[in-house]
Amino acid sequence: MIEFKGVNKWFDKLHVLNQIELKVQKGEVLVVCGPSGSGKSTLIRCINKLEPIQQGEIVVNGMSVHDSATNLTKLRTEIGFVFQQFYLYPHMTALQNITLAPVNVKKIAKAEAEKIGREKLDRVGLAEKADAYPAQLSGGQQQRVAIARGLAMSPEIMLFDEPTSALDPEMIGEVLDVMVSLASEGITMCVVTHEMGFAKKVADRVLFMDEGKIIETGKPADFFDHPQTERAADFISKILSH
Amino acid sequence: MTTFYFGRLVEMFPFFLSGLWMTTKVAFISLIVCTLIGFVLGMLRANDTFFFKHLIGVYVALARGTPFVVQIFIVFFIFPEWGLQLEPFPAALLAMAIMGSAFICEIVAGGIASIPKGQWEAAASSGLTKVQQLRFVIIPQALKVILPPLVGQYVLLIKDTSVVSVIGVMDLTRVGWVTVMRIPEGLMVFALVGLLYFAISYPLILLSNYLERKMAR
Repeated sequence: MIEFKGVNKWFDKLHVLNQIELKVQKGEVLVVCGPSGSGKSTLIRCINKLEPIQQGEIVVNGMSVHDSATNLTKLRTEIGFVFQQFYLYPHMTALQNITLAPVNVKKIAKAEAEKIGREKLDRVGLAEKADAYPAQLSGGQQQRVAIARGLAMSPEIMLFDEPTSALDPEMIGEVLDVMVSLASEGITMCVVTHEMGFAKKVADRVLFMDEGKIIETGKPADFFDHPQTERAADFISKILSH
Repeated sequence: MTTFYFGRLVEMFPFFLSGLWMTTKVAFISLIVCTLIGFVLGMLRANDTFFFKHLIGVYVALARGTPFVVQIFIVFFIFPEWGLQLEPFPAALLAMAIMGSAFICEIVAGGIASIPKGQWEAAASSGLTKVQQLRFVIIPQALKVILPPLVGQYVLLIKDTSVVSVIGVMDLTRVGWVTVMRIPEGLMVFALVGLLYFAISYPLILLSNYLERKMAR
């Protein structure tokens, strides 16, 4: 479903992605963790071409992401993306945020798109907030609307870039709950997060990155309890102790 | 004596109104053209295509960095040497468009640049094209930042139209010059000229202040 083949990327001299080889199967839930600056956000931002790469190839559903002949719009409609800072459109209501792309990209009739939009809002537990503007919503609610916005295009893949890192602690749970239920529905998910509870509960695989390299991958139980490398062990002890 | 001249001035008032009409025409047409071109250039400039960014950058720097009177002389006296001969009125409009678009381009580009990159990325991630990203997501937000200085720029551009009098357009300023040759009461004549400019500008100044307060909320 998603495949990285010898991917290299530099920001000037900084080697942010170093010879990445990775396959994510359909329906798999992959958790990516690692210290800040390890390249984990960059890794998933390359999957829908928010970032260019300099070497190698990424293939998503048979489409070569960075090939200029690839239909970028089609690629992106198959991939939902959730940002750390939500990035809801502040001048639109929750429902308008969700229906913008279905109406203008998929050309779905407005009434139909609104029906889908309300379903997705209900899905994330915010049916009554359809007409609220982002500024009227809490951080957790905004992030759930952002997830609903991603789901509205019925993507096969959802990418999450530290979806709970900008949230107050008491709001993290509501967002993770939504993500847990998504994971059980068979959507392919790549999640950059340090939420170990989430990883243990739903991840099929955990991937640990440092300095642009994939250092270690494994089942969550194995990875967290018996890390193979010193760097991973060190990292786990740090996120546990805070 | 002053009373006598005042009577003459009242007699000439229709002449002032025709000047006011010409100034309004130059201002109105050029503001519309400047706004259209300025927005298109501003959006291109906010884009990351190297060529456009720098080409527009050079144009903006030249148009903003040279006096308008020099630009209008070039359009009216030098362009004919290059094969573009224009009457004073269209030459005035062209010069206004070249100068005003540059200022508006900068305001628009600045407004667009003030929108977080994540807004572009969120819109791009959902499959919207560049034009759709601008139209639905970026411009509606940027307008809040753009509108107050844009209306302020309109006021400046309206006053800049007085320069078109130097190439013979019979606008309000030129009406003042012509009148003062017949009525040697400069203060009175140009007070009237100033008052008529003020009558167009002041509502826009109020609008700009209003927008500034409104958008700050």
